[in-house]
Amino acid sequence: MKTRLSPINVLSYCLLGCSLFAGAAHAADGDWKRGRVYYQKVCTDCHTAKAGGAIAPNSRTMADWTSYLKADKHAKGKESLKKYASKEYRVSVKATNKAAEKYADVPDEQLFNDIRTFMLKGAKDGDSPASCL
Amino acid sequence: MRAGLCTMTVMTTLLVGAAAHGAPDPESAKLLKSTSDHAKFKVLEQDFKTGPEVTKACLSCHTEAAKQLHLTQHWTWEFLNPDGQRLGKKHVINNFCTSVASNYASCTTCHIGYGWKDDKFDFTSQVNVDCLICHDSTGNYRKQPGLAGNVVTQPMEIPPGSGIRVKPIDLKKIAQAVAKTSRDNCGACHFFGGGGDGVKHGDMDSSLASPDKALDVHMDATGNNFACATCHMTEGHQVPGSRYAPTAQDKGGAHLRGKEYTTNPTTCQSCHGQAPHKANAKLNDHTGKVACQTCHIPSYARGGIATKMSWDWSTAGKMGPDGKPLIRKDAKGHVIYTAAKGDFVLGENVVPDYMWFNGKVKYTLFGDKVDKGEQPTLINHFEGSASDGKSLIWPVKVMRGKQAYDPVNKTLAVLHMAGNDDTAFWTNFNWERAVAVGMASVGAPFSGKVDFLATESTWPITHMVAPAKDALRCRDCHASGGRLEKVPGIYIPGRASDHAGWLDAAGWAIAVLAMLGVLVHGAGRVIVSRRNK
Amino acid sequence: MARIYIFKRFERFWHWEQAALIILMLLTGFEIHGSYALVGWEKAANLHTTAAWTLICLWLFAIFWHFTTGEWKQYIPTTRNVLAVASYYTVGIFTGAPHPFRVTRLSKHNPLQRLAYLMVKLFINPLIWVSGLLYLYYNELGASKLAAGLELGSIALVHTAAAFMMLAFLIGHAYLTTTGHTPFAHIKAMITGWEDQDEPVTIQEPGARS
Repeated sequence: MKTRLSPINVLSYCLLGCSLFAGAAHAADGDWKRGRVYYQKVCTDCHTAKAGGAIAPNSRTMADWTSYLKADKHAKGKESLKKYASKEYRVSVKATNKAAEKYADVPDEQLFNDIRTFMLKGAKDGDSPASCL
Repeated sequence: MRAGLCTMTVMTTLLVGAAAHGAPDPESAKLLKSTSDHAKFKVLEQDFKTGPEVTKACLSCHTEAAKQLHLTQHWTWEFLNPDGQRLGKKHVINNFCTSVASNYASCTTCHIGYGWKDDKFDFTSQVNVDCLICHDSTGNYRKQPGLAGNVVTQPMEIPPGSGIRVKPIDLKKIAQAVAKTSRDNCGACHFFGGGGDGVKHGDMDSSLASPDKALDVHMDATGNNFACATCHMTEGHQVPGSRYAPTAQDKGGAHLRGKEYTTNPTTCQSCHGQAPHKANAKLNDHTGKVACQTCHIPSYARGGIATKMSWDWSTAGKMGPDGKPLIRKDAKGHVIYTAAKGDFVLGENVVPDYMWFNGKVKYTLFGDKVDKGEQPTLINHFEGSASDGKSLIWPVKVMRGKQAYDPVNKTLAVLHMAGNDDTAFWTNFNWERAVAVGMASVGAPFSGKVDFLATESTWPITHMVAPAKDALRCRDCHASGGRLEKVPGIYIPGRASDHAGWLDAAGWAIAVLAMLGVLVHGAGRVIVSRRNK
Repeated sequence: MARIYIFKRFERFWHWEQAALIILMLLTGFEIHGSYALVGWEKAANLHTTAAWTLICLWLFAIFWHFTTGEWKQYIPTTRNVLAVASYYTVGIFTGAPHPFRVTRLSKHNPLQRLAYLMVKLFINPLIWVSGLLYLYYNELGASKLAAGLELGSIALVHTAAAFMMLAFLIGHAYLTTTGHTPFAHIKAMITGWEDQDEPVTIQEPGARS
């Protein structure tokens, strides 16, 4: 089926674009505490249970994390990393994961930025290196 | 088209929704809770070189803040016990790193001030109050040990000669992002009491920075997300709920918003009231004898961080085969021996001890007579009994230790542990010299001899409150050998040591005799009836 | 054999429900006491309390019933024939002597039964109920200062002692139900209400046990 761009659609996407831009403007300083909760209670919990253990933020440098996050590859490149911070993913696990439930409505970019902020801050050479508990 | 309309509706709702809250940005849709954005203050547009410079800027608006803080234990490290004992960090001796005296520059890393390097510190100085340690929201504000509470703003090697370079912190950025206190702020010191993560309290460690519900039902980062100050409700910077003067029993009701109270707002009752158990009202009958914490904190050190249960200083000072100070670790990689500190026993998921506690704590202080005996010396002693009408059964952590004392003068020793000099124990491993300097620092006599005696200190357990489903069950105490087995002065149904032995013996004897009687009688009837056939 | 309708419907219901509740309370009560672990302390305590209230209700009905029907007179003690009945249970029952007491509608308990049941109703039961209610409402008691100095341990002591008495009664009572003309005759009567008169003169039907 061919998608037809109606004026209303165009307007919607414009608004969406504006709001995404507004989000990007905040990219520099995400909410590291929210990022920490998501990193610990969603990422780490799953890694501990299914992927052979936790990965401490301070096990990599800021440069490592920056390029890792930019590459957007998860599970040895088989899938997108951002998928795991997406609303869709959060909704899919929210029945069993309270952090995912709490942040179910946070826009994807914003949450991803929060996680990024926490990881860079907690990196080996970050402002406050963070181990796993 | 229909899909387009939907998208449109969603976007409009987002925009309108955000506008209703007064925030123009629908993406963040975040209402600023504060009326001030500190990033916009001119006075904070400075390249601060020292902590006091920041404080000076803070005080230019918050004119009374330092004076308020001067009144707190956080500042004075002093507390006058109702019975007259002079307590507080400055005065007490414990069985962890033992004492602050003669170790100021190291210990005062956790003072809410700048520059307390010896006993000449000016407690009237306003600019030496450290605002940022409690109000930093970046998580990057940090005080390095050994600098008397000062911060690092230039690249530095700490300790000197160690080759460890410490990154400077950006005071401007931190000052511009100040906020209300959070668990991370309080935790920067309180999680690390006793010289490391979770060492001292057992119910407080860095796992509470971002805990889940199972670890702490109130601080649960994915749920209630309480800050420390949610319960330790400050007013004018005075923080209620000190363990020096705890409220062991709160008979008041739940506090109402807007109403003024003089009672401690940190107790469980100040929110939950006196009869919080709805599903099983019989549980409310326990609150006259049992502290909430007893059932609702089934164990401490639950967050994956071990706490120290005992500390034997007497074995300190051993060198390894390489001639370097020895370090031993257990299977989990936890340090259990260091030449600097001796042997430790660590514990996780520790079941508390339980005792009657009425809120009064008596301390053994410098100069008090102590002696090696059968019983360990009590560094502090929780008072209370079943019958004083003021006590409840409380969960506590009992910390056991062996620490230095002067066997001739019979006083606990003040140890000079930290410092880059030729007497500090951690540099020189010589007890006599370290104690001589320590004792001299408080003007106490020292015989020149050092021996070690067993000590015990007691710490209330009150954090790491578990969800209701993880609270203790009846059988945990209503049984022989249960958690309250050793708590005297109270009849606990199900605890055999409370039984009148003669009654149980007589009762069962009568029952057995009755049984035997009817069996013999019945057997007689059977025999007779058979014979008659 | 003569049959006589001796236990009315309410009386039977009251008896058996009371029996079930007392057995349940003995079982759970001694678990609460700490004598053994059976259903778990919490469950035992809940069951014990629920059973207690049920039994109190039942008792209120029973007291009402006894007074309105005049059945309370069944428990008026008498010394007549006590020794005879006692000697029957100790000697006569083995020698095949007839029971010295004849059940009638107006007098359905033999003198020993009268004494035993009266003892249960006037001594053991009140002891259990009073100590049990004090036990249950110990907190309110403490708050009201009505019974200052009365310790839970003392209340529990009395309650436990009464429970042992009830246990001893239960054992004896349960055994004595088997002493009718057949082992289950009394139990049958308590279920159906009809008692067979074990008269020696009664013509025996074929197949009936002597």
